[in-house]
Amino acid sequence: MSNHNPQDEFFIGYLGVPPRLKRFLLTFIPVLVLGVLALAFLLPTVHFDQFNLGKRTKVPEFEGLLIGNPSPHLLVPRDGAVGTNSDFSLYLLSGTGKTSPKPAVLEQVDQWVKLKGTPFHRNHLTVIATRSAEPTEPPTSGPIQPTEGQSLGEFSLTGEIVDGKCYPGVMKPGRTKTHRSCAIRCLSGGVPPVFVVHNQAGDQLYFLLSDLDGTAVNDKVLDLVADPVQIKGEVIQYADAFILKADPATYQLL
Amino acid sequence: MGVAYKAVQWNRQKLVYDIILLTTVVFYLFFFEGISLHLSSDLDLKGIWIRAFGSAAFILLHIILSIGPLSRLSSKFLPLLYNRRHMGVTMFTLALLHARDALAWYHDFGNLEPIVSLFVSNTHYADFVRFPFEALGGMALVILFLMAATSHDFWLTNLTAPVWKTLHMGVYLAYGLLVGHVVLGALETNPHPFLSAAVGVGFVWIVGLHLITALREAEKDGVPLFSQAIKSNIDADGFVHIGSVTDIPENRAKIAVISGERVAIFKYDGQISAISNVCQHQNGPLGEGKIVDGCITCPWHGYQYLPDSGISPPPFTEKIPTFNVKIQGDQILVNAIPNPPGTPVVPAVIGQE
Repeated sequence: MSNHNPQDEFFIGYLGVPPRLKRFLLTFIPVLVLGVLALAFLLPTVHFDQFNLGKRTKVPEFEGLLIGNPSPHLLVPRDGAVGTNSDFSLYLLSGTGKTSPKPAVLEQVDQWVKLKGTPFHRNHLTVIATRSAEPTEPPTSGPIQPTEGQSLGEFSLTGEIVDGKCYPGVMKPGRTKTHRSCAIRCLSGGVPPVFVVHNQAGDQLYFLLSDLDGTAVNDKVLDLVADPVQIKGEVIQYADAFILKADPATYQLL
Repeated sequence: MGVAYKAVQWNRQKLVYDIILLTTVVFYLFFFEGISLHLSSDLDLKGIWIRAFGSAAFILLHIILSIGPLSRLSSKFLPLLYNRRHMGVTMFTLALLHARDALAWYHDFGNLEPIVSLFVSNTHYADFVRFPFEALGGMALVILFLMAATSHDFWLTNLTAPVWKTLHMGVYLAYGLLVGHVVLGALETNPHPFLSAAVGVGFVWIVGLHLITALREAEKDGVPLFSQAIKSNIDADGFVHIGSVTDIPENRAKIAVISGERVAIFKYDGQISAISNVCQHQNGPLGEGKIVDGCITCPWHGYQYLPDSGISPPPFTEKIPTFNVKIQGDQILVNAIPNPPGTPVVPAVIGQE
């Protein structure tokens, strides 16, 4: 190789790197590599909603009353003195995929069941990815039938429609644009839709969505998930949750 | 060079190149996951890997797109160009892993085939803000696949360098699609200023670097973008005045644009020869090469040609066009019409008219 003149160095890949060029590369390449690796440290710290409190819990089995509308859910009696609070906790039910619970589970609607699945919860919203359910006897003590939902009046609320399975912790973020397609698949498969609203204090409020007949709105809101939406309707206190009852045709994309 | 095909013609530089490349990628992924786990134990790890693979591919694409213009601006960056194809295949692999995991995680386990779900779940193709960014990523991945699949010299030879080069210019379309994919996907979901700034700086860097390089190339070719082009002065015999022999360093070349094509005029051993500036391998700029061991050597991958015939030395078979040359005084004149590839031409001897 004719690199005798250091001012006239010439790189040929298969012959090796001339000395002056090597000195440059020994500075440039480490700087480039360190720059790339610095991004590996920085990018995870700016994830959106990646480190929320949603998590999987290890309770494998629940006993409660299986309800079908507006979306499948389980009402589980609360232990101990509940005071003026609800006698029941409401857990949303999905299947193990982007689906509603299996038909064999849903056939037992309005019955007391022993239900097996994987629960996920975020704040006070819980979903159980249901594997199976078998009939069981109602509890011998405590409440066996929830009280009717109580209307809290008409409200106009702004928030985001999410699927009730990914949002509580299966996926992070389980909401907004990157999750839109997944949420559409989930809702079209029968996962309960949930309306997430942030109040002025920054708290998250969750609403089960119901149409005016008290049934599910899944297929009517597929076009509205992951975007800011305004819903005007009746808010109903039901067990320890809220139901927002409105005609899905009146939901407004903001 | 073109004798027999091997999967990879390994040498020390390629090994070092690949070791640095792959080690950096592995450490990037390792750190990305490690930092995420350090920040929270309740993670959606699938989501973390999707972001790790996607961001690694996007960063690597910026480096790949920078190497070309940087090498035009300074020959110091040519060692990065030498094995750029391995970087491209690595980037495609990362993009494929990103797509595989995203497809499985966001689109599987539902009531549609995942690949169908990818394109039909979000149908707002006419809406900019709500546009299904996944489709842009899918289109870019197809382009990157075509490039990775045809990256071997077998395809370069059989498709011919101009066709291969055109196909591989698709990387710019892929980059545009991926900027859209990131802006309408990740940035819409995560409006953190650091992410927006990083993507913006990356875009301005790539566009700016290419513009600066294009301007400099145009100036060097005598066809500046914002002023009158310098016309070739063809004499009655069909020769073009190139300049003085003293303008060209020994064993190096001057590049001149004759009839719109770049010609490399080399000075060596007291002689002048002129050949096409375009290497047959990847269309590298031969005029930025050097005479090494009596052969014009391409600065990109070291392909070699004999200066008086444009033929690669045996056993290699590449051929490029040559040009008739003569010298008047100290002035070099090159015929405006190229000879067919591999045509022997008697070099003009300096000081002997």
